[in-house]
Amino acid sequence: MAVDLGRGHVAVTGLVDRERLLSALDQALKKRVTLISAPAGSGKTSLLRTWIGRLQGAYRVAFISARSEEDEQGFWLVLLAAFGASETPVPVPTFNGANAVDRALTQLNQNNDPIVIVIDDAHELTHDALAHVAKFIADLPAHAHVVLASRHDLRLGAHQLRLAGEVAEIRAKNLEFTESETRELLARSGITLSGEALRTLQQRTEGLAAGLRLAALSLAVDSDPEEFVAQFSGSNRVVADYLMAEMLERQPPHVQRLLLTTSILGRVNGELADLLADTTGSDSILLELEDANAFVVSLDSERTWFRYHHLFRELLRLELRRTTPDLVAELHRRAAEWFTDRGYMVEGIRHTQAAGEWQSAAWLLADQVFDLLMSGQHKTLQSLLEAFPRAARIDHPELALVDAALESTQGRFEEAAQHLDIAEREAEKQPAEEDCGYRVGIATLRLCLARLRGQLDSVIEQVNYLASPAGARRRSGTPLSGVLRATALMNLGVVEMWSGRLADADQHLREGAELSEKIEHPYLRVSCLSNLGFASKVRSFASAREHSERAVELAHRYGWENETIIAPALLTLAGTHIWAGDFITGEKWLARAVKLTPPNTNPPVELLLHIVSGMFHAGRNRLSDALVEFEQAQRMQSLMLGEHVLASQATGWAAATKARLGMLADARRVLAEASPERAATGELRNAAAAIALESAEPDEALAQLRDVLDGRAPIIHDFTLVEAHLLAAQAYHMLKNEPEVRSSIEKALALAELERLILPFAMTGSRELLGKLPRHTTAHAALVLEILDMLEGWPRAGNGLSTPATTELSQTELRVLRYLPTNLSRSDIARELYVSVNTVNTHFRNIYSKLGAGRRTEAVERARQLRLLAH
Amino acid sequence: MKLYSIRVKGHLGAMSLAAFPEMVSQQRGADCVLTGVLPDHSALFGIVTQIEALGLELVEIRLLVPNPDQSERKG
Repeated sequence: MAVDLGRGHVAVTGLVDRERLLSALDQALKKRVTLISAPAGSGKTSLLRTWIGRLQGAYRVAFISARSEEDEQGFWLVLLAAFGASETPVPVPTFNGANAVDRALTQLNQNNDPIVIVIDDAHELTHDALAHVAKFIADLPAHAHVVLASRHDLRLGAHQLRLAGEVAEIRAKNLEFTESETRELLARSGITLSGEALRTLQQRTEGLAAGLRLAALSLAVDSDPEEFVAQFSGSNRVVADYLMAEMLERQPPHVQRLLLTTSILGRVNGELADLLADTTGSDSILLELEDANAFVVSLDSERTWFRYHHLFRELLRLELRRTTPDLVAELHRRAAEWFTDRGYMVEGIRHTQAAGEWQSAAWLLADQVFDLLMSGQHKTLQSLLEAFPRAARIDHPELALVDAALESTQGRFEEAAQHLDIAEREAEKQPAEEDCGYRVGIATLRLCLARLRGQLDSVIEQVNYLASPAGARRRSGTPLSGVLRATALMNLGVVEMWSGRLADADQHLREGAELSEKIEHPYLRVSCLSNLGFASKVRSFASAREHSERAVELAHRYGWENETIIAPALLTLAGTHIWAGDFITGEKWLARAVKLTPPNTNPPVELLLHIVSGMFHAGRNRLSDALVEFEQAQRMQSLMLGEHVLASQATGWAAATKARLGMLADARRVLAEASPERAATGELRNAAAAIALESAEPDEALAQLRDVLDGRAPIIHDFTLVEAHLLAAQAYHMLKNEPEVRSSIEKALALAELERLILPFAMTGSRELLGKLPRHTTAHAALVLEILDMLEGWPRAGNGLSTPATTELSQTELRVLRYLPTNLSRSDIARELYVSVNTVNTHFRNIYSKLGAGRRTEAVERARQLRLLAH
Repeated sequence: MKLYSIRVKGHLGAMSLAAFPEMVSQQRGADCVLTGVLPDHSALFGIVTQIEALGLELVEIRLLVPNPDQSERKG
């Protein structure tokens, strides 16, 4: 949805200044809310327009008119923009009303300049939208005032506010034109009536604004105004009806034609009007009409788009249908073509439907499914679908794609799958080259469902179809919509990623991210980047971090910090930090990810979440907690069809952790229950080796590790290899083969160096071995120091840092700080200072905390920046 | 299906009447009475909303006959 910011524009033209009402509105500013409740034609909008004109300068004004058939999200985005959001607000697929209200209030609080928020046509708000507006009003800051204009009273829960004197009201009676106001209105159009005629007019119209303005239009061109009034008062006809007919009659034929034919439109511009009325020069007529206050209002500051006053338009439409019924369908057809040619697809589809062209409308709607879905316009999609009569729904099974899309957003996956089956049968009837868009749509939706349900196996065909360069043309010959293609790439990439095809996933997600950037679709871009983080771990951690950080940064920019789409990015960041032994940062990312991933909604992501959580606990030696997480990861795998890329890791670590907890029989059972394919993976071999080591069977351990070390066993990533070497080292140590111990550790260090894979050293319990390593024999001394630092620094039952009272380092801490840049381990430092290692640990903790560092090298750097240490 | 009579203030001209094709109109004094059979509540509220959209003054809604097929129609 290109957010129609035009809804926030209010034309301010010269109308009668109704002083008493304008000052009533001014007075009302002292309260929180003004409610204007009066029927159609009472002059609410005109009054507000005049008033806003006078306010500007003293107050900021946000104006929005509510629309009945649109998604609530658009309403809040327009308000956000009006409140001065720096970034053009962008819609998201999953709208959350409470979040929208929060964002609006937050934005409002950024600027304390007084602001008036006017919501016109508030009766068009849905029940839910009204509830959100009520919440918004309840928490409104003191510098803001809200005006609601509606045709009938609204349930705003305003009782409390009323009791507190916070509500001002203007009702129909207040809006009625008085005699003197009537005189002034007529005078503005150059009309003078006798006192009696004036009174008659005012009484007959009951002071109704619309009536008086219609009358004025007729009176201005009538040769005998007094007679006009007499005739009018003699009739019993409803005011608007009578005066409308009179006014129309007095217009030149070309203006009549213009007004009647364009009445089918929600908004009109000169070009479109020319098209419908078979004429030229409509734009100047529209401008003239607006200047004459003839019920035409411009929608933008350039005055290119207009709309008619509601009542006026309503009557024109009725008149059109009554007098030239055969023309109506043709007009809708022309309007449909105009709108679709220019990419205004929703309006285009509505007019196509109004023209009764159900086939075209069905294909147009099927084409638009993803654009509407990805911008959260579910309600619009639903209303467009429901506009098809039941017979048409049966005649046009291609609409099944729309049903499927809506059902997938509602979590009705079974129904969605069934509708996709119907859609697919329909697609098969079309010649292959002709209808790519539809097929791509079906394939994408299938992938989307698979992604949500974790059914990775079932979608191989879809994957192959989408991955092939199966043209990119729609039935109409135009290229596939960028949104459709980007959504396809995103879903494809994610499914490939979770199934372990990381290279393919990397490629497709990258393509998806680039395309999303090109078509300026931030939500899809964030989705792609967020997943690309995980997928690109296959290249490097640095790459993974870069993509993930970009995704999070973008999400922040658009206010999407709490959207679940960034969960993969957060988890990737947590994971890479934890692998590198930086638990503080890792935990922060992990906590955020946990908060925004509701359980049992997305098995593949949750599996990753539990693995990372398990890694976090294991690294800090909390084996029982780690086991709980690894078993949860296994449970997520059981909810899925097809093998998750990290499945073997979950099983392997669950078994190994059980072994380390002494649950040897359980551990063996886990391995025994694994399928042959999974049992052959490096991750499970490592687990078998760990079990063997715990059972004091070093030869058995080495036997299990052989295929891993030879590179024959499939592994997820090099960390499995590092782990394998460390386990081998422990086996050799048991066999008292010191040279091999050193050799294995050296290999492990070499592999770990590039990506700083420190975690395996913790998880395999290699602290002792590493500590014994003579420092001069290794080429990776710095790494060893860092690993030892990490391993020694975390007490067994630790649960986080204590925050010191001040940020300054104490004398003792400064003394310890001086040892940080050296290659002395913590135990060495303890000996130097004649204190216990525990004391040194406490000092290190505090130093890290005060310097905001996660590890030793970082602490040194910070200390140097702060000039606590020399360079 | 129920027979309703809906009274609005003022006489409806051809233009306004076109909004209620399912109803029959009669002028009664200064008011207009629309009578017609409506399938359900949604249809009734549809008529009421249309009345609101035209800015008409609603005077009265009456349910005349709950089951017009079975009982006699009232004037």
